[in-house]
Parts: sequence; structure tokens; C-alpha cells
Amino acid sequence: MSIAMNTSSTSISSTHLSDNRSGRPVHRLIRALILAVACWVLSTPLTTVGGSGAAALGCLLACFWIDGQQRSHTLLQLRAPALILLAGLLVAFSAYVSTLLTNSTWLAGSIGALPLYQSAQFVFWFTLAAAITITLRHTARRHAWGALPELLFVASAFVITLAAHQRGMIDRPYFIGDYALIRGLDPTSILMAIGVGAVLALAVLLMMENQNRHLPYHVGILTVLCFSLLFYVQFFGLPSPQLTNDLGLTGQQGSGGGADPDNPFRDGENNASDREAPVAIVLFRDDYEPSNGAYYFRESAYSEFNGRLLWTAENPDLDPDLVSQFPSSPIDVSGEVPAQDKRRSVTTTIGLLTPHRSPFGLDAPVRFETAPNPNSLRFRQTYTVTSLVPEFEFPDLIGRKAGSPDWTLEQWAEYVQMPDDPRYGEFARQLTATLRPEFADDPYAKAMAVKAWLDENGIYSLKNEHAYATDPAASFLFGDLTGYCVHFAYAATYLYRSLGIPARVGVGYSVPSSNRAGGSALLIQAVNGHAWPEIYLEDMGWVIVDPAPRQTLVDMSVEPQDSLQQLLGDMLRDDAAFQAFLQDRAGNAVINWALLTRALMILTLSLLALCWLIKIYRLRCAAWAAENEQYRLVYRAALDTLAAHGERRRFGETREAFARRISPQLPAFKIISDWHLAAAPGYAFDASLAMAGAGSQQRISGHSKQQWSAQFIELQTQLQQSKAWWQKTLAVVHPLSWIKSR
Amino acid sequence: MQVMEAQATSNTDLDQAREVLVRLGSAVRAQVLGRDDVIELALIALMADGHVLLEDFPGSGKTTLAKALGEAIVDDQQVNTRTSNVPIAPFRRIQFTPDLLPSDVTGSSVFDASTNSFHFRHGPIFAHVVLADEINRTSPKVQSAMLEAMGEKQVTVDNQTYALDQLFFVIATQNPLDLVGTYPLPTPQLDRFLFKLTMNHVERDAELEVLNTWQQRRDKQSKKIEVGRTEILQARHAIDAGVFISDAIKTALVDISRALRVDERILQGNSTRSLVLILPALQVLAAMRGRNYVNADDLETLLPHVLTHRVELAPGSSDFVKILRDNMRAPMDHLARSTLSQRA
Repeated sequence: MSIAMNTSSTSISSTHLSDNRSGRPVHRLIRALILAVACWVLSTPLTTVGGSGAAALGCLLACFWIDGQQRSHTLLQLRAPALILLAGLLVAFSAYVSTLLTNSTWLAGSIGALPLYQSAQFVFWFTLAAAITITLRHTARRHAWGALPELLFVASAFVITLAAHQRGMIDRPYFIGDYALIRGLDPTSILMAIGVGAVLALAVLLMMENQNRHLPYHVGILTVLCFSLLFYVQFFGLPSPQLTNDLGLTGQQGSGGGADPDNPFRDGENNASDREAPVAIVLFRDDYEPSNGAYYFRESAYSEFNGRLLWTAENPDLDPDLVSQFPSSPIDVSGEVPAQDKRRSVTTTIGLLTPHRSPFGLDAPVRFETAPNPNSLRFRQTYTVTSLVPEFEFPDLIGRKAGSPDWTLEQWAEYVQMPDDPRYGEFARQLTATLRPEFADDPYAKAMAVKAWLDENGIYSLKNEHAYATDPAASFLFGDLTGYCVHFAYAATYLYRSLGIPARVGVGYSVPSSNRAGGSALLIQAVNGHAWPEIYLEDMGWVIVDPAPRQTLVDMSVEPQDSLQQLLGDMLRDDAAFQAFLQDRAGNAVINWALLTRALMILTLSLLALCWLIKIYRLRCAAWAAENEQYRLVYRAALDTLAAHGERRRFGETREAFARRISPQLPAFKIISDWHLAAAPGYAFDASLAMAGAGSQQRISGHSKQQWSAQFIELQTQLQQSKAWWQKTLAVVHPLSWIKSR
Repeated sequence: MQVMEAQATSNTDLDQAREVLVRLGSAVRAQVLGRDDVIELALIALMADGHVLLEDFPGSGKTTLAKALGEAIVDDQQVNTRTSNVPIAPFRRIQFTPDLLPSDVTGSSVFDASTNSFHFRHGPIFAHVVLADEINRTSPKVQSAMLEAMGEKQVTVDNQTYALDQLFFVIATQNPLDLVGTYPLPTPQLDRFLFKLTMNHVERDAELEVLNTWQQRRDKQSKKIEVGRTEILQARHAIDAGVFISDAIKTALVDISRALRVDERILQGNSTRSLVLILPALQVLAAMRGRNYVNADDLETLLPHVLTHRVELAPGSSDFVKILRDNMRAPMDHLARSTLSQRA
């Protein structure tokens, strides 16, 4: 029997707002603030302080103005194209006015040029921000998808701010990095806090669009997730800088596409966008300033001719001075480096920011050993290298014989093998023909003559037009002489070899000594990746004879990253020292942020675990409860399961009405609900009376434990059938689903 | 064990009471089509010893409803157990007009020339089911006489009190639109009606059904379903004893009416009497729905009908049902939560 309510059409949940403005005043204020901050952030790099302030102000005022209007307002009746046209006209007009202002001479004369410029910026940015805001809010209020442009706008503001931080530039953006370093904080944590704040702001915006009543609850969930993100980073580290053009030094497949790991000429697109990316940081334990103006870090060398070009030697007799493995125990190759009386020992500690194929060290590295990694988040690998750096004078090199007397014939043959191309020999002889007679037979002088010619005539360019020639070096040398370090290095090496001088191509990094800027740390960036020719002189070892073309088509200079260099150096130097430095900078701060963050993380994690435990307990506890508690526990488990799947009793809805509402899909729940209500003491029968009588057991548990659990399983089966896969997944994963069950 | 036995006996009694309800319902439903909701509420009022005020248009079946209900009831009392020696009519209809006098309703003493004495002639109110048609058209004097009879189940004429039968059920009607020359019932008097039902026009199919079957229903007098007066009274007792109303339900009732009283959209809230009156009605509805306890559904169903005519809305507010929904939400949620709490 059912008695239809006369007024059943009156929906219980019709809680529409009485006015048709957009949202409650608090919501409006929050949204306006978020948008204003986004405007400020976006305009900061483009204008003066006054201009960005004006942008924020304009955005704020426009927000308040348009949100205060009734929906029937003329502006809100306009169609989008008309509004955009109107906004565009407004912006154009204000641009015109600001240009007029800046160009007017008598105004400049009366109030001064600088205030005039400031006020022009103020006018322009104020109008621009207001026009953008009105357009955004207009769209948001007129269309269902309207919140999307608003979200994109806010998101772009944060993305642009944080984009500067990518590719390992951990001290950027400068205004945040400097702020953090002065106060002794890791900039990363500030940036992550900003990111988390951005996520929350976006989520708040999004949820306000739905006028969601459970805002605090959702914000809580998001906060927990953000904290989990922080936790993830703490444990699994930050992504390393991505490089596309690394000359095969890192052993990574270049992401630019087209990279060929077996051919240094085919190293993918010469994308210069990431050339500032930091690759490694070198700490000098001994002071050393190279005489030729550049630090050479050798990682490997190409010395074996494989029929096509020079490549890493597979013959174990070749290049015994090279170390291809990272040290687990100290590796010493000092026996392979001669002329130790003319070399100086320099110890450096190197922290790799990106993974590398082999360890590298200052020319000539002789001893590698592991070094403690002070910050495993930042540094992929750390090791200490002892190098015997050459301090040769010109007289030491001149008059030496090429090659080593200890070499076997095979070794000799390998070091002078080259492409079967007579042009190299002819050209080399032509170049060395002009040498003065006393040097005519001197290997070093010949090499210098070749280098001088390449310096004079080569053209440095990142364009790689020779990559697919059979012999790219010949194509370069006998062609347009335009190429980059790999071309020069190969061409020079072949020329040296054609003169009978043992030569190879060294690869690694070459950093201008001015970059060190007087500190003890040296930052190696992707742009420093280099290849150079070197020759072997008797009793001297491998000597770098590197051509440096005077003509260049590209500007390969990058801004020196002094602050980043110092920051990374401090990080690598010693963790304790860095901590002390931070402590020192932070002064006697009342709050230990690092400890607090860690404690918060542990708290968050244990809270999550606790939530899951409670969830599982509530689902399963009926199994070992007494029979007369089944009515309560099984029903609660059923409610939890339903809540996890998004079915939830509304506020004020009766249990009966809730069961009726979802019974079309889940008839099993109606049965559980009926059983539960009929067995609830104080609801379906007088508890005290039932307790007084002996038949209380029989009265309360109208159904056996098996019946209850069978019904619960039936409900779960029906849920499995009626819900989408993502709902089912969410139901399992969600830690707090049980909070929503009522 | 005593409890169990009491429970068991009342359960069978409850089944009988339910059967009586079903029989009464089907008797009325055979005569009145498309008005199942009103029939059920009228039955509830009858069983709960209340009265009903119908607001409806002329010709919408009010009389048919009342008549069917009255004619289904037969007097099955033993002659010696009767409270009065006057046979009580199952159904009477009183058309209220401005010139009606109280004695026209209650009856009056008339002089009998043969015995040379006055004796009381019972008025039309001495019946099981009384249809008080257009009750707002008569003077307040008659109205109050009528309402006294409804409240006290007795009639006083010439200082002599005459009791009405225990089974006394009034269906009063008033026209909601035609208000010229009427004496609207004030709220305290409306309080005596358990339900005020606002009927809408019947649905299209039901109306068509009425036209198709009116001849059969007019002629079908032979196999009438009948329910004895004693049976109904027994059913009342059985429901009263056998249907449980929990403290949680009562708490919800009180909380809802307290919330209504402080709501600024309401000038005057409902009386405590209304809460007392609703309890038997809730029990009857629960029994009708086959339960031996009152649940939140019953409360949700009956509250609008019970409270609509008992509250005065503040100027400017019109939708009482919405106000009621707003005020019900928190107590009903509390009620729903109570079933999961460990201690009852």
C-alpha cells in the first residue's frame, strides 16, 4: 500500500540560491583573489611593478563588478564574439591612450618622464586585466564549460612561473631562489608549496563552480594527496634534467629523435633550448687554473677505426688510460700517464646531475674513487678524481717524437689507421709544407700548423649538413668547412694520423676557466659538451691540440650561472656543511622546518594507513561479531560499500527512502535495510521489554549470520554489475570512503 | 515468556486488524475510483479515532466516499450491550447552510402529546459516519456544537448529555474557492481534525473508469462487503497494543514541531494535541503497511497532512510543505542515525 504524497514533486534537495548572482560573497572573494594573483604573476615579467599591481587591481575590481551584476544585466546578455570584440576595442583604446601619454612631450616636461611611463603602464595593464577578467567571468557565467578558460588562465600563470625551474635550474626563478637561499631554505620546497597551492586553488575554483557543499572535505582530501606527492619526491627523487644534445656522453637515448648512438655525427637535432641545463658540478680540492683558458674533462676517447669512422676502442690494448666503469673501489691508472714530473696532482669531487655512461675527470684523470653522496635527490653519482694536470711549457712539447716506444706494432697501426682517402695526406702535407725547416719533422709543430689552419678557416656552426655523408669528416674538411666540435675533432685527428702522428678524438666537457669565477666549484652545463683531437707525444702522453675556429655562426655563450654553481657546490661539498650553512642563514629560527615537514609527512602517511585500516575493519568486522550484532555491522558495511561507490544517503533522507531510491539497481540493499530496521532495538521494538524477556536473542536476530553475509555478498555482486570500472577502482582505493557513509 | 506470548497474541490480533482494514478499504474502493490516497487516509483517520476535513470541488466524490464508508459498517452489537436503545445509523449527511441551527444537528426535545412529555429526538449526528458538507457555510454556533460532538463524543441538549457511539467518524468538507458568505473555521477548531486533505482532480484514466463503471456500481448492491462495528473497535485495540512507536520516533516528532515553532516563516506552530493525535494514525499506517512498528516513512507520509491546517504561515510565505521539509531534515537525519547506534 502506498499513499502518494500530494507534494512529492517538491524535491527535498532543492537548495538553489535565492539570488542569481554568482555564488556566495565568500566564494566570490576567493575566486577574485585567485584570479588577481594569476594576473599579477603573468604580468610581472612584462611590465613594471606598478603595471603588475594595476593588473591585479583591475582584475580584482572587474571580478567584483561583474559578479555583483544580476544575470539580466546587458553585459551578461551579450554573445561571446560581441564581448570579445568589445574587450579587444577597450584594450586597443587603452593601448592608444598609454602611447599618447608616453609620447606627449609637455606632460613629460611637467610631471617627469618616469612617472609618466609608470602611469601609462598602469592604465594599459589595468584595462587589459579588467578586459580579460570580464571576458573570463562572462564565459564562466554563461556557459557550462565556462569555468575551463578560467582554470587554464590560472594554471598557465603557475606553469609559466615554474617553467623557469625546469632543466635543473634549481635556483630559478630568481626571485624565489634568492628569497629561499637568503633564508636558508631549499628553493624546491617553496616551489612545491607553490605548486600544491596552485592545485588547491584550481580545485577550489572548480568546486565552487558546482557550488559544492562539501568543500572542506574535498580540500582535505586534496591536501592529503599533495602531501603524498611531497612524500614521493622525498623518497624517489626529482626528475633529472633532460638533454637532447649530449654527444653520447650520458649514454641516454636523446629525446630529440634521430640520434644514432654509434655515430657522433648523428646526435639528433641540435636543439639549443636546453643547452643551459646543468650536467654536473665539480669541486676543486686543489687550486688549479689551466694555462690554455679551458678545463678539459675527458670521459672517453674514440681511437679505433672501425672501417667507417673512429669509435671507442674494443681492443683492450688501446687506451689503457681510460676508465669506463664508475668506481666501486678505487681505480688507479696512474701508470699509464707519463711525464708525471711535469704534471701536477689536482683532486676534484664531481657530482653528476644526469646519469653518465662513464666517469669523467680533469685531463688526465688517474684515480677514481667513490665519494659520499650528500643529496641523493639531486646527485645521480658522486666520485672523487685525482688528475695529473699537464703544466707543459712549449719547449717540453717541441722536439718530441710521436708515439710511445713501448707500443707494439699493432698499437701503432691502430693509432694511425684512418679512412682510405688520399686527400687527407695531400692536404696535411700541403699544410705542413710551409713550416720552417727546423720544425719540418716535428710532430707537435705539424699538429699546431694543422690546428692554426683550422682555426683560421673553419666556421663554427650547429648546422649538421655532413651527418649522412659516407665520411662526414671529409665532407666537412673538403667541403664548406662548416661544422661543430665533432667535425673539427675528426678532421684534425685524420689529418694528424695522415702525418703519422698517433691521434684520437677525446670526448667530454670543456669549460671556460672564467666560469669558475674565483670559487672552488665549477658548473658543467650541456653546452660544454665537447670533442677534441689529441696526439701522443713520447714521454708526454696524450696532448690536446684543439682547433678553435675564429668564425662562428652561432652564439654559444651562455649566461654564467654563478648562483646555481655556488648552490650546487655547497650542496656537494658536504651535507653537514651545507646544513650548517643553511642553519647559519636561517639563524636561530623558532621552527625547524625540515623536521616539521618530515613529521607532517609521517603524520599524513600514518593517517592514510589508519584510514585504510578503519575502512577494512568496518567492512570485515561483522564476520567475527556476535549474531545479535549482525544487523548493525552488516548494515554499516553495506552503507560503507555504497558510499565508496558514490551512493550515499542524503541529509534528512530516511533509511527507508534511501533504500527505495537505490533499489532499482541494488535490490539486495533494500532487503538488508529492511532487515536492519526491523532488528534495530529502540526503533522497531521496545528494547527494554525485549531485554527483560528471555526471548531477546530470538527477537533481535531475526536472521542468521549466514543469511546476513549471503545478503551482503549479493549486494557486492550487484554493485559489481551495475557500476563502471573507475567507480569500482575508486571504491577500493579511496581511504576515506567510510566517512561519507551515514 | 510472558512477553513472547503477549507479542504472539498481539501479532495475530494485528493480522486480524489488518484484514479488517483491507476489507474496509476494498469496500470503499469498489465505490470510489481513482482516490486511493484519500481513501487510505480516511481509513487511517477512522481507525485512529480522528476526523477528516476535505477541501475539494463539488462533485468530486466526497459524499460517495463517506457513504461507502458508512454503509460498509454494520451494527453487530448484541442488543443488551448497547449503550443506547436507539439504533445508530451507519451514515448521515448534514448539509450546512447559514440558517442551520444547532438542534438541527444534535437533535432536540419534542413534546409527545400521547405521553404528555418531552422526549429527545436524535439528530443526524448520531451515526457512525457523518458527512458534514460545506461546514464553513454555517454559523459559528452550529460549528461549535458540531466540533464539541467531535471532540467529546457527546451531545448536550437541555442540560441532558447524550453519548455518541464509540465509532464516530466525521468527514467535513469545505470549498476552497467560493468564500463569499462563509464563516471560515479558525485554527483552534481546525485542530480537531486529524487530517486536512486537499484533493486534486482524479487522473484521466481513473475518470474514464468512473464513467465506464458508474452503472455497474449503481446497480451492484447485492454482494456488499460488510465490516462489523465491533470488529473495527477490536482492530483499534489490536493496533493500539500491537504497533510499537519508538522513543526515537517520538523524539523526532517533538523536534520537528519545536523547529517549526521557531521558524520565522511560521506565525503559529502546531499544538501538542496534534502530536498526541498523530500517534494512533502512525500506528494504523504502520499496520496497514504490514509492520508492527512505526518507521520514518510513516512519519514522512503523515506529517504534511496532519500539520498543514494547524500552523499559520507568516505573511509572504506560502509553501508549508517546503518549510516542513526544511525543518524535518535535521530530526529525520538524527532518527536515521539512531538505528546504527550501539545503545538503543
